Amino acid sequence: MGEIIKVYNEAVESEKYHMDIMKQYFDLVKMKVDEAYDLQKDKIERIAEMFGRCMENGGVVQLFGVNHGEEFVNELNYRAGGIAPFHGLKLKELILKEMIRQEDIDSGKIYEDVSVADRFEEIYELDDRDMYCLVSFYGNEPLLLEIAKRVKERGQKLVGVVNKKSYDAHDGRLLQYCDEWLDMCAEEPDTALCLEGVKVGQLSSTVSNCIAQMLTSEIYAWFEKQGKRAPVLLSANIKGADVHNDSLTDPYGRRIR
Amino acid sequence: MIDALRFKEELFVLLDQLYDSQKENIEAAAQAFKECIEKDGVVHVFGSGHSVGLGIDIKNRVGALVPIHIMEMSDFVTRGNISVEEFMDRKNIFERKPGVAKQLYDLYDIRPQDIFIVISNSGINGIVIDIADLAKKNGHKVIIITSMKHTLAEEPRHPSGKKLYEFGDIVIDNCGPHGDALIQTDGVEKVSSVSSICNNCVAQSMAARTVELLKEDRFELPVLNGDKAHDDALKKKYEGRA
Repeated sequence: MGEIIKVYNEAVESEKYHMDIMKQYFDLVKMKVDEAYDLQKDKIERIAEMFGRCMENGGVVQLFGVNHGEEFVNELNYRAGGIAPFHGLKLKELILKEMIRQEDIDSGKIYEDVSVADRFEEIYELDDRDMYCLVSFYGNEPLLLEIAKRVKERGQKLVGVVNKKSYDAHDGRLLQYCDEWLDMCAEEPDTALCLEGVKVGQLSSTVSNCIAQMLTSEIYAWFEKQGKRAPVLLSANIKGADVHNDSLTDPYGRRIR
Repeated sequence: MIDALRFKEELFVLLDQLYDSQKENIEAAAQAFKECIEKDGVVHVFGSGHSVGLGIDIKNRVGALVPIHIMEMSDFVTRGNISVEEFMDRKNIFERKPGVAKQLYDLYDIRPQDIFIVISNSGINGIVIDIADLAKKNGHKVIIITSMKHTLAEEPRHPSGKKLYEFGDIVIDNCGPHGDALIQTDGVEKVSSVSSICNNCVAQSMAARTVELLKEDRFELPVLNGDKAHDDALKKKYEGRA
């Protein structure tokens, strides 16, 4: 699959390939999702099992994403058709509580500040039964590594999601803490399309979102295999959804909302 | 049987439908985006819930267009107008209060040449319709991204009796199913939602086509390229607006 993409990219770069650019993006998403699945289907299944076991034991899967990694967090966190016991550690909530400043997120400085890990521990109800999934394109930010270190010190399970090509090129270190990890399978840097030298079109988040939804299907399958009903959230716009969703989330109190 | 492979296969069918049925609408949106940028305009993006991810995906990264502004409810707090307690009050949901859309709209520097992208899967929630309505009444072009299957299956909730797509100059159907989740289980629920994936594909292909159109016009591209001096100058140009 990697070879197909290389040939495709070379064709696009050399501009022998005159398909419309919108179609190119859709085609590349499918190719990259195929690659992500083909190379990682066993890992996706194993990670879904880790998540399922954690949830069955009363745990929540705590999610944290750096920069655009937050899209992966949003994809799993309180989502229609998603599994309930996920929770995102959100910088936005720290801003609302005036613990950090928006400009430090915009400049990226916030990811160098390891004390933000303390702020998360102050505002959220974290539990020993929880496990973590940390998402970062480069896997090298001090805050991310601090959270990872604390997770392992507490003896909790940890899954990492990185863009492996970028991780290798930028001295990533997250994976040394991880029990399992997934590759976003995007390019380094993350631009997939070329318009006479101008690079556009990012794939990492779209492919990551697909991986997140593949994980969701596998977690559902894992619960089924245990003979249990998976805690699936309904779309809030469907009649009766609020009652159903509250019945899944209320037992966790503040831990997942 | 439900597993990752089934999700992938059903998703690919959906992505093909999305491209085939919406390419003209995405092209029209890219044309509107291009015209807006050439007139020194900004694209304001507003989405309910997870829908705002579309704006986030095409912003602040190498290869991204700069003149994109995300309208966020949390700006009420960060700009000092509303207390955190009032904003976070679950019993009295802030975005459902009357007049909130107008207050949000008025927080920003919105200029006549600007256009709007308003996103909602269900297309029936009050605030997204109010924002689209306000933008139209103020003479702005409005691009709507919604799930037609979902919105047509719902009763309207807005006092106008209308749904979001009825306010669009250009309407892009993200082709997602009613309720957003794709895979039907043996029970009542469905799993694995697709709107973020479909919306990202729409946004990324639209942004790429916009850059291509700007290039054809030999317009200076407001695209981040990773060079600090270049990127800082671009951000400075749109400071306070994007």
